[in-house]
Amino acid sequence: MIRPTRTTGGIAALALALAVVALPLANPAAALAAGSLALFLFWRAWRFERDLFAAATSLAVNRDVDRTILRQGAAATVRVRVDLVTPPGMEIRVRDIPPAVASGGAPLSLPGKAAAYTIRLMAPGETAFGGVVLLASDAFFTRDLACRRPNAPHLRVFPVGTTENGRGTGAGMGDAEVDRRAALAGQGIRGFRPYRSGDDPGQIDWKVSARRDTYYIRQLTGLEGGTPLIAVDLPPRAGDDPATFARFSMAVCGAVEGAITSRDGCSLLVVAGGEVVRFLPRTLDIREALAALGGLAPLEPRAPLYRAPGPAVLAGRARMNGRGAGPEEKTYLARFASVISAFTKQSPAPFAAAVRAAFGRAEASEVRIYSLLAPGDKSHLIQLAREAKVRGMRVVLRAPAGAGTIPGVDAVEVL
Amino acid sequence: MEFDRKFLLLCGSEVLVVAAGNLAAALILQVIVLAAFLGDRRGYPVFAAAAILFAAAVYAVGSIALLGLAVALGCGYLALTLYDYRLVRWAAGEP
Repeated sequence: MIRPTRTTGGIAALALALAVVALPLANPAAALAAGSLALFLFWRAWRFERDLFAAATSLAVNRDVDRTILRQGAAATVRVRVDLVTPPGMEIRVRDIPPAVASGGAPLSLPGKAAAYTIRLMAPGETAFGGVVLLASDAFFTRDLACRRPNAPHLRVFPVGTTENGRGTGAGMGDAEVDRRAALAGQGIRGFRPYRSGDDPGQIDWKVSARRDTYYIRQLTGLEGGTPLIAVDLPPRAGDDPATFARFSMAVCGAVEGAITSRDGCSLLVVAGGEVVRFLPRTLDIREALAALGGLAPLEPRAPLYRAPGPAVLAGRARMNGRGAGPEEKTYLARFASVISAFTKQSPAPFAAAVRAAFGRAEASEVRIYSLLAPGDKSHLIQLAREAKVRGMRVVLRAPAGAGTIPGVDAVEVL
Repeated sequence: MEFDRKFLLLCGSEVLVVAAGNLAAALILQVIVLAAFLGDRRGYPVFAAAAILFAAAVYAVGSIALLGLAVALGCGYLALTLYDYRLVRWAAGEP
Protein backbone atom coordinates (compact mmCIF):
# COMPACT_ATOMS: atom_id res chain seq x y z
CA MET A 1 0.00 0.00 0.00
CA ILE A 2 1.11 3.55 -0.51
CA ARG A 3 3.01 5.19 2.32
CA PRO A 4 2.44 8.81 3.36
CA THR A 5 5.33 11.26 3.44
CA ARG A 6 6.03 13.65 6.29
CA THR A 7 4.09 16.38 4.50
CA THR A 8 1.03 14.15 4.27
CA GLY A 9 1.31 13.34 7.97
CA GLY A 10 1.45 17.06 8.73
CA ILE A 11 -1.62 17.82 6.60
CA ALA A 12 -3.53 14.95 8.22
CA ALA A 13 -2.62 16.28 11.66
CA LEU A 14 -3.75 19.75 10.60
CA ALA A 15 -7.07 18.35 9.34
CA LEU A 16 -7.58 16.50 12.59
CA ALA A 17 -6.85 19.61 14.64
CA LEU A 18 -9.32 21.63 12.56
CA ALA A 19 -11.96 18.90 12.97
CA VAL A 20 -11.42 18.95 16.73
CA VAL A 21 -12.03 22.70 16.65
CA ALA A 22 -14.98 22.49 14.24
CA LEU A 23 -17.11 19.84 15.93
CA PRO A 24 -17.45 21.27 19.49
CA LEU A 25 -17.54 24.91 18.34
CA ALA A 26 -19.86 24.19 15.40
CA ASN A 27 -17.65 26.35 13.19
CA PRO A 28 -18.57 25.71 9.53
CA ALA A 29 -15.37 27.32 8.15
CA ALA A 30 -13.18 25.05 10.29
CA ALA A 31 -15.31 22.06 9.26
CA LEU A 32 -14.85 23.04 5.61
CA ALA A 33 -11.10 23.43 6.08
CA ALA A 34 -10.78 20.07 7.86
CA GLY A 35 -12.96 18.23 5.37
CA SER A 36 -11.35 19.75 2.31
CA LEU A 37 -7.87 18.86 3.60
CA ALA A 38 -9.00 15.25 4.08
CA LEU A 39 -10.53 15.27 0.60
CA PHE A 40 -7.32 16.76 -0.75
CA LEU A 41 -5.23 13.93 0.67
CA PHE A 42 -7.62 11.31 -0.66
CA TRP A 43 -7.56 12.92 -4.10
CA ARG A 44 -3.75 12.98 -4.06
CA ALA A 45 -3.65 9.31 -3.05
CA TRP A 46 -5.98 8.42 -5.92
CA ARG A 47 -3.87 10.50 -8.32
CA PHE A 48 -0.72 8.78 -7.09
CA GLU A 49 -2.15 5.31 -7.72
CA ARG A 50 -3.35 6.30 -11.20
CA ASP A 51 0.03 7.78 -12.08
CA LEU A 52 1.82 4.71 -10.78
CA PHE A 53 -0.39 2.46 -12.87
CA ALA A 54 0.29 4.61 -15.94
CA ALA A 55 4.03 4.41 -15.29
CA ALA A 56 3.89 0.64 -14.74
CA THR A 57 1.99 0.05 -17.99
CA SER A 58 4.63 1.97 -19.95
CA LEU A 59 7.45 -0.10 -18.43
CA ALA A 60 9.99 -1.58 -20.84
CA VAL A 61 13.01 -3.49 -19.54
CA ASN A 62 16.06 -4.25 -21.61
CA ARG A 63 18.22 -6.68 -19.65
CA ASP A 64 21.43 -8.14 -20.98
CA VAL A 65 23.51 -10.84 -19.25
CA ASP A 66 26.98 -11.63 -20.51
CA ARG A 67 26.35 -15.38 -20.11
CA THR A 68 23.04 -17.19 -19.89
CA ILE A 69 24.55 -20.66 -19.42
CA LEU A 70 26.97 -20.71 -16.56
CA ARG A 71 28.33 -22.72 -13.70
CA GLN A 72 27.15 -22.63 -10.09
CA GLY A 73 28.96 -19.88 -8.24
CA ALA A 74 30.23 -18.21 -11.40
CA ALA A 75 29.83 -14.46 -11.70
CA ALA A 76 27.68 -12.93 -14.40
CA THR A 77 27.47 -9.27 -15.31
CA VAL A 78 23.99 -7.89 -15.84
CA ARG A 79 23.27 -4.68 -17.72
CA VAL A 80 19.76 -3.41 -17.37
CA ARG A 81 18.01 -0.39 -18.75
CA VAL A 82 14.45 0.46 -17.76
CA ASP A 83 12.36 2.85 -19.80
CA LEU A 84 9.04 4.21 -18.65
CA VAL A 85 6.93 7.33 -18.84
CA THR A 86 7.31 9.26 -15.60
CA PRO A 87 4.16 11.30 -14.85
CA PRO A 88 4.71 14.97 -13.95
CA GLY A 89 5.30 15.54 -10.25
CA MET A 90 6.34 11.95 -9.67
CA GLU A 91 9.87 10.70 -9.21
CA ILE A 92 10.61 7.10 -10.07
CA ARG A 93 13.74 5.06 -9.52
CA VAL A 94 14.11 1.44 -10.48
CA ARG A 95 15.97 -1.54 -9.10
CA ASP A 96 16.43 -4.84 -10.87
CA ILE A 97 15.50 -8.02 -8.97
CA PRO A 98 18.17 -10.70 -9.45
CA PRO A 99 17.17 -14.38 -9.51
CA ALA A 100 16.16 -15.81 -6.15
CA VAL A 101 19.21 -18.07 -6.02
CA ALA A 102 21.66 -15.27 -6.81
CA SER A 103 23.86 -13.39 -4.43
CA GLY A 104 24.59 -9.77 -5.13
CA GLY A 105 22.21 -6.86 -5.36
CA ALA A 106 21.31 -4.45 -8.09
CA PRO A 107 21.82 -0.71 -7.69
CA LEU A 108 19.11 1.88 -7.90
CA SER A 109 18.95 3.65 -11.21
CA LEU A 110 16.91 6.27 -12.99
CA PRO A 111 14.61 5.35 -15.87
CA GLY A 112 16.39 5.61 -19.19
CA LYS A 113 19.81 5.11 -17.61
CA ALA A 114 21.63 1.80 -17.88
CA ALA A 115 22.88 0.11 -14.73
CA ALA A 116 25.36 -2.75 -14.45
CA TYR A 117 25.93 -5.15 -11.60
CA THR A 118 27.35 -8.59 -10.92
CA ILE A 119 25.58 -11.63 -9.56
CA ARG A 120 26.66 -15.12 -8.59
CA LEU A 121 24.19 -17.93 -9.03
CA MET A 122 24.38 -20.28 -6.08
CA ALA A 123 22.07 -23.10 -7.09
CA PRO A 124 21.92 -25.21 -10.22
CA GLY A 125 18.91 -25.38 -12.50
CA GLU A 126 16.84 -23.04 -14.60
CA THR A 127 16.27 -19.65 -13.12
CA ALA A 128 15.06 -16.23 -14.15
CA PHE A 129 15.15 -12.67 -12.95
CA GLY A 130 12.50 -11.51 -10.54
CA GLY A 131 11.49 -8.43 -12.50
CA VAL A 132 12.09 -4.86 -11.44
CA VAL A 133 11.00 -2.77 -8.48
CA LEU A 134 9.66 0.71 -9.13
CA LEU A 135 10.31 3.08 -6.26
CA ALA A 136 7.82 5.86 -6.92
CA SER A 137 7.36 8.97 -4.86
CA ASP A 138 5.76 12.37 -5.05
CA ALA A 139 5.36 15.13 -2.49
CA PHE A 140 2.64 13.21 -0.65
CA PHE A 141 3.10 9.45 -1.08
CA THR A 142 5.68 6.78 -1.82
CA ARG A 143 5.26 3.24 -3.06
CA ASP A 144 7.49 0.31 -4.04
CA LEU A 145 5.92 -1.79 -6.78
CA ALA A 146 7.49 -5.07 -7.86
CA CYS A 147 6.77 -5.74 -11.53
CA ARG A 148 7.45 -9.43 -12.11
CA ARG A 149 6.66 -9.63 -15.81
CA PRO A 150 9.98 -8.53 -17.30
CA ASN A 151 12.03 -11.52 -16.10
CA ALA A 152 13.98 -12.41 -19.26
CA PRO A 153 16.52 -13.76 -19.98
CA HIS A 154 16.30 -17.20 -18.40
CA LEU A 155 19.55 -18.53 -17.00
CA ARG A 156 20.78 -22.10 -16.92
CA VAL A 157 23.14 -23.01 -14.09
CA PHE A 158 25.20 -26.17 -13.99
CA PRO A 159 26.31 -27.64 -10.66
CA VAL A 160 29.90 -27.46 -9.55
CA GLY A 161 31.81 -30.60 -10.49
CA THR A 162 29.70 -31.48 -13.52
CA THR A 163 30.48 -30.50 -17.05
CA GLU A 164 27.77 -29.16 -19.27
CA ASN A 165 27.16 -32.48 -20.96
CA GLY A 166 26.65 -34.13 -17.57
CA ARG A 167 29.44 -36.69 -17.89
CA GLY A 168 31.15 -35.77 -14.65
CA THR A 169 34.30 -34.00 -13.64
CA GLY A 170 37.05 -34.23 -16.18
CA ALA A 171 34.95 -36.34 -18.51
CA GLY A 172 36.15 -34.70 -21.65
CA MET A 173 36.50 -31.57 -23.66
CA GLY A 174 33.16 -29.84 -23.61
CA ASP A 175 32.26 -26.28 -24.29
CA ALA A 176 31.50 -25.75 -20.62
CA GLU A 177 33.23 -23.26 -18.43
CA VAL A 178 36.45 -24.06 -16.62
CA ASP A 179 35.68 -26.76 -14.10
CA ARG A 180 37.78 -25.37 -11.33
CA ARG A 181 37.18 -26.80 -7.88
CA ALA A 182 35.71 -24.20 -5.61
CA ALA A 183 37.62 -23.10 -2.55
CA LEU A 184 34.66 -24.02 -0.39
CA ALA A 185 33.22 -27.51 -0.67
CA GLY A 186 29.51 -27.97 -0.11
CA GLN A 187 29.56 -31.15 1.95
CA GLY A 188 32.29 -32.31 4.30
CA ILE A 189 33.49 -35.75 5.38
CA ARG A 190 32.54 -36.73 8.88
CA GLY A 191 34.56 -39.93 9.00
CA PHE A 192 35.25 -43.33 7.48
CA ARG A 193 33.87 -46.80 8.04
CA PRO A 194 34.60 -50.21 6.52
CA TYR A 195 32.93 -50.94 3.22
CA ARG A 196 29.76 -52.98 3.41
CA SER A 197 28.00 -54.80 0.62
CA GLY A 198 25.61 -52.41 -1.11
CA ASP A 199 27.62 -49.27 -0.41
CA ASP A 200 28.29 -46.87 -3.24
CA PRO A 201 31.74 -47.76 -4.64
CA GLY A 202 32.14 -44.12 -5.55
CA GLN A 203 32.41 -43.32 -1.85
CA ILE A 204 35.43 -45.57 -1.29
CA ASP A 205 38.36 -43.57 0.01
CA TRP A 206 41.37 -45.10 -1.66
CA LYS A 207 44.00 -43.50 0.52
CA VAL A 208 42.49 -44.78 3.77
CA SER A 209 41.73 -48.15 2.14
CA ALA A 210 45.36 -48.52 1.07
CA ARG A 211 46.62 -47.57 4.51
CA ARG A 212 44.30 -50.04 6.30
CA ASP A 213 44.46 -52.69 3.64
CA THR A 214 40.69 -52.97 3.48
CA TYR A 215 38.02 -50.92 1.80
CA TYR A 216 36.86 -47.85 3.68
CA ILE A 217 34.12 -45.53 2.54
CA ARG A 218 33.70 -41.87 3.27
CA GLN A 219 30.82 -40.86 5.51
CA LEU A 220 29.54 -37.49 4.47
CA THR A 221 28.26 -35.07 7.05
CA GLY A 222 24.70 -35.40 5.79
CA LEU A 223 24.53 -39.20 5.90
CA GLU A 224 24.22 -39.97 9.59
CA GLY A 225 21.53 -39.48 12.16
CA GLY A 226 18.16 -37.92 11.42
CA THR A 227 17.50 -35.02 9.14
CA PRO A 228 20.05 -32.32 9.91
CA LEU A 229 19.28 -28.75 10.81
CA ILE A 230 21.38 -26.24 8.94
CA ALA A 231 21.77 -23.02 10.87
CA VAL A 232 23.06 -20.06 8.90
CA ASP A 233 24.53 -17.12 10.80
CA LEU A 234 24.32 -14.02 8.62
CA PRO A 235 27.36 -11.80 9.13
CA PRO A 236 26.95 -8.11 9.93
CA ARG A 237 27.37 -5.53 7.20
CA ALA A 238 30.44 -3.98 8.80
CA GLY A 239 33.56 -5.30 7.12
CA ASP A 240 31.48 -7.21 4.62
CA ASP A 241 33.46 -8.72 1.77
CA PRO A 242 31.13 -9.60 -1.15
CA ALA A 243 33.41 -12.35 -2.44
CA THR A 244 33.64 -14.04 0.97
CA PHE A 245 29.91 -13.82 1.44
CA ALA A 246 29.34 -15.23 -2.05
CA ARG A 247 31.51 -18.24 -1.22
CA PHE A 248 29.72 -18.58 2.11
CA SER A 249 26.30 -18.55 0.37
CA MET A 250 27.55 -21.13 -2.07
CA ALA A 251 28.73 -23.41 0.71
CA VAL A 252 25.36 -23.10 2.46
CA CYS A 253 23.42 -23.77 -0.76
CA GLY A 254 25.63 -26.76 -1.46
CA ALA A 255 25.09 -28.12 2.05
CA VAL A 256 21.31 -27.71 1.81
CA GLU A 257 21.23 -29.30 -1.61
CA GLY A 258 23.45 -32.16 -0.46
CA ALA A 259 21.39 -32.77 2.67
CA ILE A 260 18.14 -32.85 0.72
CA THR A 261 19.37 -35.06 -2.09
CA SER A 262 21.24 -37.49 0.16
CA ARG A 263 18.74 -37.79 3.00
CA ASP A 264 15.14 -37.28 3.95
CA GLY A 265 15.35 -33.51 3.72
CA CYS A 266 16.69 -30.97 6.14
CA SER A 267 15.60 -28.01 8.20
CA LEU A 268 16.92 -24.54 7.69
CA LEU A 269 17.35 -21.83 10.31
CA VAL A 270 18.74 -18.42 9.39
CA VAL A 271 19.78 -16.13 12.24
CA ALA A 272 21.32 -12.69 12.40
CA GLY A 273 22.46 -11.60 15.84
CA GLY A 274 19.73 -12.38 18.33
CA GLU A 275 17.04 -12.67 15.69
CA VAL A 276 15.63 -15.60 13.75
CA VAL A 277 15.40 -14.33 10.17
CA ARG A 278 13.98 -17.44 8.49
CA PHE A 279 13.03 -20.93 9.51
CA LEU A 280 12.05 -23.78 7.24
CA PRO A 281 11.29 -27.03 9.06
CA ARG A 282 11.88 -30.47 7.53
CA THR A 283 11.70 -29.69 3.86
CA LEU A 284 12.18 -32.11 1.02
CA ASP A 285 11.69 -29.50 -1.65
CA ILE A 286 15.02 -28.20 -2.85
CA ARG A 287 13.40 -25.27 -4.63
CA GLU A 288 11.65 -24.21 -1.44
CA ALA A 289 14.90 -24.45 0.52
CA LEU A 290 16.88 -22.51 -2.04
CA ALA A 291 14.12 -19.92 -2.28
CA ALA A 292 14.38 -19.50 1.50
CA LEU A 293 18.09 -18.90 1.07
CA GLY A 294 17.59 -16.56 -1.87
CA GLY A 295 18.22 -12.90 -1.36
CA LEU A 296 20.13 -13.37 1.87
CA ALA A 297 22.69 -10.68 2.50
CA PRO A 298 24.78 -9.46 5.41
CA LEU A 299 22.41 -8.02 7.94
CA GLU A 300 22.97 -5.61 10.77
CA PRO A 301 21.70 -7.30 13.97
CA ARG A 302 18.49 -5.63 15.07
CA ALA A 303 18.21 -7.46 18.38
CA PRO A 304 21.73 -7.78 19.82
CA LEU A 305 22.06 -10.04 22.82
CA TYR A 306 24.88 -8.02 24.42
CA ARG A 307 26.84 -11.17 25.26
CA ALA A 308 23.98 -12.66 27.27
CA PRO A 309 24.84 -16.30 27.96
CA GLY A 310 21.26 -17.50 27.57
CA PRO A 311 19.02 -19.60 29.79
CA ALA A 312 20.77 -22.91 29.06
CA VAL A 313 24.12 -21.59 30.33
CA LEU A 314 22.51 -19.91 33.32
CA ALA A 315 20.70 -23.11 34.22
CA GLY A 316 24.04 -24.94 34.03
CA ARG A 317 25.64 -22.42 36.35
CA ALA A 318 22.73 -22.72 38.76
CA ARG A 319 23.37 -26.45 39.01
CA MET A 320 26.99 -25.97 40.07
CA ASN A 321 27.68 -28.03 43.16
CA GLY A 322 30.18 -26.98 45.73
CA ARG A 323 32.05 -30.25 45.87
CA GLY A 324 35.24 -29.81 47.87
CA ALA A 325 34.28 -26.30 48.91
CA GLY A 326 34.07 -24.94 52.42
CA PRO A 327 30.76 -24.19 54.15
CA GLU A 328 30.95 -20.48 53.31
CA GLU A 329 31.57 -21.19 49.68
CA LYS A 330 28.71 -23.70 49.65
CA THR A 331 26.39 -21.09 51.13
CA TYR A 332 27.56 -18.58 48.58
CA LEU A 333 27.06 -21.05 45.73
CA ALA A 334 23.56 -21.93 47.00
CA ARG A 335 22.60 -18.26 47.07
CA PHE A 336 24.20 -17.67 43.72
CA ALA A 337 22.28 -20.64 42.26
CA SER A 338 18.98 -19.35 43.64
CA VAL A 339 19.63 -15.89 42.18
CA ILE A 340 20.58 -17.37 38.82
CA SER A 341 17.52 -19.66 38.85
CA ALA A 342 15.23 -16.76 39.63
CA PHE A 343 16.87 -14.68 36.91
CA THR A 344 16.55 -17.52 34.39
CA LYS A 345 12.85 -17.86 35.15
CA GLN A 346 12.26 -14.12 34.92
CA SER A 347 14.32 -13.52 31.81
CA PRO A 348 12.19 -13.88 28.67
CA ALA A 349 15.18 -14.79 26.40
CA PRO A 350 13.08 -14.62 23.19
CA PHE A 351 15.93 -15.73 20.93
CA ALA A 352 16.61 -18.87 22.96
CA ALA A 353 12.87 -19.58 23.07
CA ALA A 354 12.58 -19.16 19.29
CA VAL A 355 15.58 -21.43 18.72
CA ARG A 356 14.14 -24.00 21.13
CA ALA A 357 10.84 -23.95 19.27
CA ALA A 358 12.65 -24.31 15.96
CA PHE A 359 14.63 -27.29 17.26
CA GLY A 360 11.39 -28.82 18.49
CA ARG A 361 9.80 -28.56 15.07
CA ALA A 362 12.90 -29.64 13.17
CA GLU A 363 13.32 -32.88 15.18
CA ALA A 364 16.93 -32.97 14.05
CA SER A 365 19.69 -34.98 15.63
CA GLU A 366 22.41 -32.68 14.41
CA VAL A 367 22.76 -28.96 13.91
CA ARG A 368 25.33 -27.63 11.50
CA ILE A 369 26.15 -24.02 12.10
CA TYR A 370 27.48 -22.12 9.10
CA SER A 371 29.11 -18.92 10.18
CA LEU A 372 31.88 -16.58 9.11
CA LEU A 373 32.44 -15.92 12.84
CA ALA A 374 32.70 -12.20 12.28
CA PRO A 375 34.35 -10.23 15.09
CA GLY A 376 31.97 -9.05 17.76
CA ASP A 377 29.23 -10.58 19.82
CA LYS A 378 28.79 -14.31 19.22
CA SER A 379 26.42 -14.92 22.10
CA HIS A 380 23.60 -15.86 19.70
CA LEU A 381 25.72 -18.72 18.38
CA ILE A 382 26.63 -19.76 21.93
CA GLN A 383 22.96 -19.77 22.89
CA LEU A 384 22.11 -21.75 19.76
CA ALA A 385 24.79 -24.34 20.47
CA ARG A 386 23.79 -24.63 24.13
CA GLU A 387 20.12 -25.11 23.26
CA ALA A 388 21.16 -27.84 20.84
CA LYS A 389 23.21 -29.56 23.52
CA VAL A 390 20.28 -29.40 25.93
CA ARG A 391 18.30 -31.40 23.35
CA GLY A 392 21.17 -33.85 22.96
CA MET A 393 21.96 -32.77 19.42
CA ARG A 394 25.37 -32.95 17.86
CA VAL A 395 26.73 -29.51 17.01
CA VAL A 396 29.04 -29.03 14.07
CA LEU A 397 30.45 -25.61 13.33
CA ARG A 398 31.60 -24.78 9.81
CA ALA A 399 33.65 -21.63 9.77
CA PRO A 400 36.57 -20.22 7.79
CA ALA A 401 40.03 -21.43 8.73
CA GLY A 402 41.52 -19.44 11.59
CA ALA A 403 38.22 -17.82 12.51
CA GLY A 404 38.16 -19.55 15.88
CA THR A 405 35.30 -21.43 17.44
CA ILE A 406 32.55 -21.12 20.01
CA PRO A 407 32.02 -23.12 23.20
CA GLY A 408 29.76 -26.13 23.09
CA VAL A 409 30.46 -27.43 19.58
CA ASP A 410 31.37 -31.07 18.99
CA ALA A 411 33.30 -30.57 15.78
CA VAL A 412 34.66 -27.69 13.78
CA GLU A 413 34.96 -28.03 10.03
CA VAL A 414 36.67 -25.59 7.75
CA LEU A 415 34.51 -23.86 5.20
CA MET B 1 13.35 22.60 4.23
CA GLU B 2 11.58 24.34 1.37
CA PHE B 3 8.63 22.04 1.78
CA ASP B 4 8.53 22.71 5.51
CA ARG B 5 8.22 26.40 4.74
CA LYS B 6 5.37 25.65 2.35
CA PHE B 7 3.70 23.58 5.04
CA LEU B 8 4.00 26.44 7.53
CA LEU B 9 2.43 28.73 4.95
CA LEU B 10 -0.39 26.21 4.53
CA CYS B 11 -0.95 26.19 8.29
CA GLY B 12 -1.08 30.00 8.30
CA SER B 13 -3.50 29.99 5.38
CA GLU B 14 -5.76 27.52 7.17
CA VAL B 15 -5.96 29.98 10.05
CA LEU B 16 -7.11 32.59 7.54
CA VAL B 17 -9.69 30.16 6.12
CA VAL B 18 -11.10 29.49 9.58
CA ALA B 19 -11.08 33.21 10.37
CA ALA B 20 -12.98 34.03 7.19
CA GLY B 21 -16.28 33.31 8.91
CA ASN B 22 -18.24 33.27 5.67
CA LEU B 23 -18.43 29.74 4.19
CA ALA B 24 -18.20 30.94 0.56
CA ALA B 25 -15.12 33.04 1.29
CA ALA B 26 -13.59 30.14 3.20
CA LEU B 27 -14.21 27.83 0.25
CA ILE B 28 -12.62 30.20 -2.27
CA LEU B 29 -9.64 30.78 0.01
CA GLN B 30 -9.20 27.07 0.62
CA VAL B 31 -9.25 26.19 -3.09
CA ILE B 32 -6.71 28.93 -3.86
CA VAL B 33 -4.45 27.98 -0.94
CA LEU B 34 -4.33 24.29 -1.85
CA ALA B 35 -3.76 25.11 -5.53
CA ALA B 36 -0.81 27.27 -4.50
CA PHE B 37 0.49 24.41 -2.39
CA LEU B 38 0.66 22.11 -5.40
CA GLY B 39 3.31 22.02 -8.10
CA ASP B 40 1.35 19.90 -10.54
CA ARG B 41 -2.33 20.80 -10.81
CA ARG B 42 -3.51 18.07 -13.19
CA GLY B 43 -7.01 17.00 -12.19
CA TYR B 44 -7.34 19.84 -9.69
CA PRO B 45 -10.88 20.74 -10.89
CA VAL B 46 -12.02 17.31 -9.70
CA PHE B 47 -10.86 18.13 -6.21
CA ALA B 48 -12.35 21.63 -6.44
CA ALA B 49 -15.72 20.14 -7.41
CA ALA B 50 -15.58 17.74 -4.46
CA ALA B 51 -14.70 20.62 -2.12
CA ILE B 52 -17.69 22.62 -3.44
CA LEU B 53 -19.98 19.64 -2.83
CA PHE B 54 -18.62 19.29 0.69
CA ALA B 55 -19.10 23.03 1.30
CA ALA B 56 -22.72 22.62 0.19
CA ALA B 57 -23.13 19.74 2.64
CA VAL B 58 -21.64 21.83 5.48
CA TYR B 59 -23.98 24.69 4.55
CA ALA B 60 -26.96 22.32 4.62
CA VAL B 61 -26.31 20.27 7.75
CA GLY B 62 -23.50 22.07 9.56
CA SER B 63 -20.29 20.67 11.00
CA ILE B 64 -21.84 17.23 11.37
CA ALA B 65 -21.15 16.80 7.65
CA LEU B 66 -17.60 15.98 8.74
CA LEU B 67 -18.85 12.65 10.08
CA GLY B 68 -20.50 11.84 6.75
CA LEU B 69 -17.28 12.78 5.00
CA ALA B 70 -15.31 10.48 7.32
CA VAL B 71 -17.59 7.59 6.38
CA ALA B 72 -17.31 8.42 2.68
CA LEU B 73 -13.52 8.65 2.91
CA GLY B 74 -13.45 5.32 4.74
CA CYS B 75 -15.30 3.73 1.81
CA GLY B 76 -12.97 5.55 -0.58
CA TYR B 77 -9.98 4.16 1.29
CA LEU B 78 -11.36 0.64 0.85
CA ALA B 79 -11.82 1.28 -2.86
CA LEU B 80 -8.27 2.62 -3.06
CA THR B 81 -6.95 -0.47 -1.27
CA LEU B 82 -8.78 -2.69 -3.74
CA TYR B 83 -7.35 -0.70 -6.64
CA ASP B 84 -3.87 -1.04 -5.13
CA TYR B 85 -4.38 -4.78 -4.66
CA ARG B 86 -5.37 -5.16 -8.31
CA LEU B 87 -2.34 -3.11 -9.34
CA VAL B 88 -0.01 -5.35 -7.33
CA ARG B 89 -1.59 -8.48 -8.80
CA TRP B 90 -1.28 -7.07 -12.30
CA ALA B 91 2.36 -6.14 -11.68
CA ALA B 92 3.02 -9.66 -10.38
CA GLY B 93 1.73 -11.04 -13.66
CA GLU B 94 -1.39 -12.60 -12.19
CA PRO B 95 -4.70 -12.32 -14.02
